[in-house]
Amino acid sequence: MLKVEGLESGYGTMQVLWGADLEVKKGTITTVLGPNGAGKSTLLNTIFGLVKPWNGRIILNGEDVTFDPPHDKVEKGLTIVLEGRHLFPSMTVRENLILGAYTDRAMEKLESSLELVYSLFPVLKERAEQMAGTLSGGEQQMLAIARSLMTNPDIVLMDEPSQGLAPKLVMEVFDTITKLKNEGLTILLVEQNVFASLEISDYAYVLNEGRIVLGGTIDEVKDSEEIKKVYLGL
Amino acid sequence: MNAEVLIDSIISGLLLGLVYGLAAIGLNLIWGVMKVINLSHGAFIALGMFSIWILYTSFGIFPYIGIIMILGLGLVLGIITYFGALHRVIDAPELSTLLATFSVSLIIIGFGTFIFKTNPKALDFSLGGIEAGSIVILGTKVATGVISIIFTVLLYAFLYKTRPGKAIRAVSMNRTAAELMGINSSLILALSFGIGIALAMVAGALIATIFPFTILSGGGYELKSFVICVLGGLGSPIGALVGGITLGLIESVVTLGIQTSFVPVLEFALLVAILVLKPSGLLGGK
Repeated sequence: MLKVEGLESGYGTMQVLWGADLEVKKGTITTVLGPNGAGKSTLLNTIFGLVKPWNGRIILNGEDVTFDPPHDKVEKGLTIVLEGRHLFPSMTVRENLILGAYTDRAMEKLESSLELVYSLFPVLKERAEQMAGTLSGGEQQMLAIARSLMTNPDIVLMDEPSQGLAPKLVMEVFDTITKLKNEGLTILLVEQNVFASLEISDYAYVLNEGRIVLGGTIDEVKDSEEIKKVYLGL
Repeated sequence: MNAEVLIDSIISGLLLGLVYGLAAIGLNLIWGVMKVINLSHGAFIALGMFSIWILYTSFGIFPYIGIIMILGLGLVLGIITYFGALHRVIDAPELSTLLATFSVSLIIIGFGTFIFKTNPKALDFSLGGIEAGSIVILGTKVATGVISIIFTVLLYAFLYKTRPGKAIRAVSMNRTAAELMGINSSLILALSFGIGIALAMVAGALIATIFPFTILSGGGYELKSFVICVLGGLGSPIGALVGGITLGLIESVVTLGIQTSFVPVLEFALLVAILVLKPSGLLGGK
């Protein structure tokens, strides 16, 4: 469904990704693990187009989308939940959600998408008329995820969705991600929280110093020497 | 000074203030959405004045029909200007966009001076007047005030009720987030600049139905727009209208007592005073 080959990118003259390869299969949760500074966020941002790729290919549903700008990728079924949420603070929760369904692709399904996100996040229905900027941190994260679902995506990229949340909310976020998979969505996740993300994922990749050093099913990755090396320095 | 003169000035000030407000909304929208301080604002106001003058004197087009054509012209010119002068520097530090819009201003005024020279022009056009006792309010002033209100209301409806309008608001709040929703933010920035320029040109055209003008007149109105934006708080369109009315009233009432040429001094003093005392504008803002 999503295939990344030899992806290189960076900021200015500083290269961060040195040829990353990975594949995300339909209806699965795939996690990218790796220490701080390994380039995990850069990887997601480059796939989405917020950071320009220098080299390599990104293939979405069989189509080469490497150099498409972000808004075109949304029309083709890709969405991202960024670290730091990026809401529209002086619009209501409802307005935020409806803006999520901006593309033609999403507008067709506006009503059913709205129903889906309200059933996943009842608290957003309660707060529909409240300004997004006045929500609590956890609710804002819920809204960011909900708004990304409004784009009627095939694949959701998630950058550290549990960051900055209280432990109880972290578990809620991971439960939600599992529910999204059960709704038929495909998810590519980047997380600091290694144990929780391994628990819900089907496949995992380990990114270190801008290169994918290991990839496979959860069981293969969990017991590998590489992951111990990367995380424990053994 | 008697009461009738005072009432006359207040009504005039109110009506003029509305069109000053309309011009300021153009400046304000561009700042609010793009974070660009548009130094070509005054040049486009002057271009609006000359557009209506040409449409009326050369083609005999009724000025208030001409205004609709100028709205379209402004939109197109603004979008062209965006892609020509601003698109590549939009993410650069403010100084770059400041210089880019300043260059556009120099180009317009340079060509304008070459073509029209700098002697004053006036629209030989009248709508008569509305009389009440010994007070006479010019028809063109009333029309200007009413049209300014109509354009402000239309802009609001556009920003809050239409799909591109909502996209403009989304981009102004968070450009990255807008891209995530599938909004082509470059097109939205171009559209916003187009609307801002269109409003400046329409305001210029409306002012030209009342006062004589030269190609250099825009500068004075640009200054007024800056004062109004500071008065009303940058980024707040309603604040711009309120600021416009405030400035219009101050201007017309104060000139009863002092010379007209002293007005810019007063406006600058007001600008400095507000920046020192309440930098967020009289109506708050952020």
